[in-house]
Amino acid sequence: MEISGADLIRAAALLGAGLSMGFGAIGPGVGEGIVGGSACEAIGRNPREAGLLTRTMLVGQAVSESTGIYSLVVALLLIFVV
Amino acid sequence: MEGIGKVSQWVFHLGGMRIEVNSATLLMSWLIIGLILVFIVLATRRRAMVPGPWQHLSELIVCWIRDLCVDALGEEWGKRYYPLICALFIFLLLCNWISMVPYMTAPTQDLNTTLGLGIMGFFIAHGTAIWVKGPKNYISEYFKPLFFLMPLNVVGEVAKVISISFRLFGNIMGGSIIIIVVSYLVYGLILPPFLNAFFNLFVGTIQAFVFTVLTLVYISVQIR
Repeated sequence: MEISGADLIRAAALLGAGLSMGFGAIGPGVGEGIVGGSACEAIGRNPREAGLLTRTMLVGQAVSESTGIYSLVVALLLIFVV
Repeated sequence: MEGIGKVSQWVFHLGGMRIEVNSATLLMSWLIIGLILVFIVLATRRRAMVPGPWQHLSELIVCWIRDLCVDALGEEWGKRYYPLICALFIFLLLCNWISMVPYMTAPTQDLNTTLGLGIMGFFIAHGTAIWVKGPKNYISEYFKPLFFLMPLNVVGEVAKVISISFRLFGNIMGGSIIIIVVSYLVYGLILPPFLNAFFNLFVGTIQAFVFTVLTLVYISVQIR
């Protein structure tokens, strides 16, 4: 059974996609958890401002998500274009 | 599942050059512009002190964004730029929401839309900076903390454009791919409505808001 060059490239691309998204999901998870924790603490200290704090937390988490999205884009490129 | 990587295009040859137009993005953008125009006509038809529903909704959005802009940019520039920020926000909101309707694709699924809006924001921010500070001051800002940090500052500005457009593109495109793949895996039972609600309504709203606020912040950082 011969493994052709095209198969090898496809296999490497899929492996790279898995690694990219796998390692790329660690950072945003930790970062957004820290932001959420600080927001919970702040709401505990000042419950009247809960709406503003929740909105600010969501914006902070969306910006912190962006590097995870970059690795998702790399994984999608590897799966569908290579 | 087979249609995931494909982009529907119109290809025509014009004087020896091959021109490709992404038809889905173009038609969807025109549809959204039409929807916004319909909303504007409904909102301003019979203006009264006690507003009807459409006028009330448009007043909510416009007043909220005007407060945001005047907060970030100061009185004079805030009043000049809030129509732009308002149009950007409503356009992106409808762009992300329209992919809930079957057979419609979001224009922000195409990198062209998001990159175009990001570059527009870049030119607005730097154009305003040159207008306010003058060309000499503007260029000397790049050398500000330390003289040899100029390349880093330039790369930082380019990175802002890339990050803002890729964040929106990746969120919407990734969300649509996840919806297609998971719906295929569960044969369309039970899960797709919840996925649609999460990715299109929740994430779409947040990403539209983040794009708008970040454009506003980049403009305000240049004006200082």
